[in-house]
Amino acid sequence: MGALWILYRQRLRRDRWQIIVWILSIGGLALLAVAAIAKSFGDDATRAQVLQLATAAPAILVLRGLPRGPALDSFTFFEIFAFLALLAGLMNTFMAVRHTRAEEESGRAEIVSATAAGRWAPLGATVLHAMVANVVVAMATALGFIAGGLDPAGSLVAGLATGAVGFAFLGVGLLASEFFSTSRGANGISSALVMVAYLLRGFGDATGQVSPDGMTMTAAWPSWVSPIGWGQQTFAYTGNRWWPLLLPLALGAACTAVVVALMARRDVGASVLAGRSGRANARPWLRGSFSLALRLQEGAIIGWCIGGLATGLLTGSLGAAIQSSITSNPQITAVLRGMIEAQGTSMTQLLVAALFEVAGILAAACGLQAVLRLRQEEAAGTAEPVVAGSVGRMRWLGSFLGLGTVSVVLVMAFTAVGAWASLVASGDTSGSAGEVWQTAVDQLPAALIYLALPAAVFVVWPRATIPAGWALLGIGVVLGVYGGMLGLDQRIRDLSPFTHTPVTTSTGTDWSGGFWMLGIAVVVTALALAAVRRREVGTA
Amino acid sequence: MDTVIQTVDLHKNFGRVKALDGLDLEVHKGEIHGFLGPNGAGKTTTLRILLGLARQSSGSASVLGMNPWADAVELHRRVASIPGDVSLWPNLSGGEAIDLLSRLRDGAVDHAAYKERKHHLCELFDFDPGKKGRAYSKGNRQKVALISALVIDAELYLLDEPTSGLDPLMEAAFTREIRRIVRENGATVLLSSHILSEVEQLADRVSIIRAGRIVDGGTLDALRHLTRTEVSFAQDSVDTHALAALSQVHDLTVVEGRVKFGADSDRVHEVLPLLGTLGVKGLLVAPPSLEELFLRHYGDTVAQTVPQIADDGGTHHRRHRAAAAGA
Repeated sequence: MGALWILYRQRLRRDRWQIIVWILSIGGLALLAVAAIAKSFGDDATRAQVLQLATAAPAILVLRGLPRGPALDSFTFFEIFAFLALLAGLMNTFMAVRHTRAEEESGRAEIVSATAAGRWAPLGATVLHAMVANVVVAMATALGFIAGGLDPAGSLVAGLATGAVGFAFLGVGLLASEFFSTSRGANGISSALVMVAYLLRGFGDATGQVSPDGMTMTAAWPSWVSPIGWGQQTFAYTGNRWWPLLLPLALGAACTAVVVALMARRDVGASVLAGRSGRANARPWLRGSFSLALRLQEGAIIGWCIGGLATGLLTGSLGAAIQSSITSNPQITAVLRGMIEAQGTSMTQLLVAALFEVAGILAAACGLQAVLRLRQEEAAGTAEPVVAGSVGRMRWLGSFLGLGTVSVVLVMAFTAVGAWASLVASGDTSGSAGEVWQTAVDQLPAALIYLALPAAVFVVWPRATIPAGWALLGIGVVLGVYGGMLGLDQRIRDLSPFTHTPVTTSTGTDWSGGFWMLGIAVVVTALALAAVRRREVGTA
Repeated sequence: MDTVIQTVDLHKNFGRVKALDGLDLEVHKGEIHGFLGPNGAGKTTTLRILLGLARQSSGSASVLGMNPWADAVELHRRVASIPGDVSLWPNLSGGEAIDLLSRLRDGAVDHAAYKERKHHLCELFDFDPGKKGRAYSKGNRQKVALISALVIDAELYLLDEPTSGLDPLMEAAFTREIRRIVRENGATVLLSSHILSEVEQLADRVSIIRAGRIVDGGTLDALRHLTRTEVSFAQDSVDTHALAALSQVHDLTVVEGRVKFGADSDRVHEVLPLLGTLGVKGLLVAPPSLEELFLRHYGDTVAQTVPQIADDGGTHHRRHRAAAAGA
């Protein structure tokens, strides 16, 4: 048995559950999308109406894709492909970092590289492992679409596009692992790049050229600098173009080649960007469990706040781009926009709502990380000296939850500031600039739920904290944000906190759902705080 | 005599920090070579370069006649190593980790001889291979590395503070195993350590590293002069003339009301009867720590260590070891 094969099998074994969850989620979501769309938007006329509305109010396109006609198959591709590609991208970056930088950081790469595996077999096995996973993801996606009754040839293109985008981000993840000395840093930057790719194509799609019938669009250039945008350019079902797949494959291969060149020059465990040396003395404020939480999370909080700020800044620039975009059929567009606005929603408000929904997810993820840090602290053994000191378990948990709340508020504040500044700068006249503060506050209840629920899991079933935390967020996003556009049953969508996020319109805000969620968050948090006193700390 | 390891003018820089500064090391076939030095002297960096895990900034290194950076894979088939800091996969059991690492080294490990040897080593080190990696204590993680290194025979063993975290019984078992592989297989061992007594027990020859270069070396007998035990007692108007006349006693001084002298470590017992007749009080007998040796021989200031009572000497050593991070 060669070292490559042994290490490949070892990766497969380590990831067996994770990979099954990823593949079933992506493939299952493809199937679910077809089924839900076929049920809710049953005929071409309904779908054509949705497309015309979307192209008239292109803000909606940020969270969807590039319209390519009202047929069920191309409509499904339009609705769900970008999100499937986003998931495939995240799967690959996490996988790449997990088997390269994380191994080097932990020192395990050291023992493995000291065997006949050498320096190259671990990288080779990681690439092989991820490539196999991407092929399976491609097949699962294609099968999901085919099982939903879509055209097999087009489904295969859509599936392979998902896998190819995944491969591009494998390269990105590997490259990030070369640059950063910690897996946290490498994961942070590479998943941020996946988000950037998603938003870039959103920007490009929203500012694209609309066809006269309002049902097809040609993407603007930003979509062409995003691997997810390349996947969309296959025009699965309507064009079945293969050549755009070469772009993500080439990007993945190029990144891997750079990785090989960098690895040939560096020591095992070293990184291109050397880890900064720390301070010799603690800052005066580092004197308790809350400040420890802040010290541990400050990098993450800054990162998520930058993400929020960028999303906010997108509002004004995208709004201006949409306003000035030349539509091929101004009359229809004007009529449709008039219809939307007659319901009390301006174009900019739609845009603010869509982008703040994204920012709300970022805020929830930032808060979630603070709670997950508790588990990481516990598993690494660093929780023990803290709790063994003067800090009670309740205060320990409370500190991290408090910090989570602060970080959620901070991310939304940065989003609102960015949106306000860019709207004012773009000369927006709809009065939306004044509403961004309210819209930012609207996002808080759902994000707070993502502090309370993982905290409860942490107290009751510590080992499940991290997977359960991210799974809860992922399910919430799929049901709450994508559930509406897929036409999922309302009872199912109601399971997601994001479904109950208050929506601010010109006529005001309905906060009934918001108060309910705040209530749930407070009660669950109180229960978790009470229960943590009965729980041991430091259990494996 | 065959040279197994040879480095010539080895340099390694991390930014402006010179981890190795012209290191010349030579290890011969079939010997146990002690590689001694305080924390941060460059022991681990040297071993990582010899394993091809790090690349020297300048100079040359040759291991078993190969260039470790270029021929890493070929080299690792013939070398077993223990890293300075052992980390395991949290969800793999210790037994699985040992099998995985052995397969990566050799490939064919599924035969009965391997299983028997693994079983033997697990018993020898009193190790339960069925627990998950995250459940092991530091000592038990160290045992995974020890067993993985010893379970398949190699020509060369590169061991970086191999007994860190082990209790004295396990240390003794390890010493026996190392002696056995050298005796039976003619293997070569490079043993990095900062514990003089451990190296004294095992090594044929010793190289002492400080600040990235070899400052002294040779056979243990030649270095015996380094190992002087420090004896001190309360002055208390004791007449020390008879003591100063003994040939085993060196550098007798009186500092802060205490009489201090160095005695040859293997002849301390010859001094004790006289101390008994003198009726000394507050007697302290401390084996020399490496830091003190450096202090004595190279005239640099190193943090003063607290002397310990002779019976407590073992604790003294182990405390040093526990405080040591990978140098």
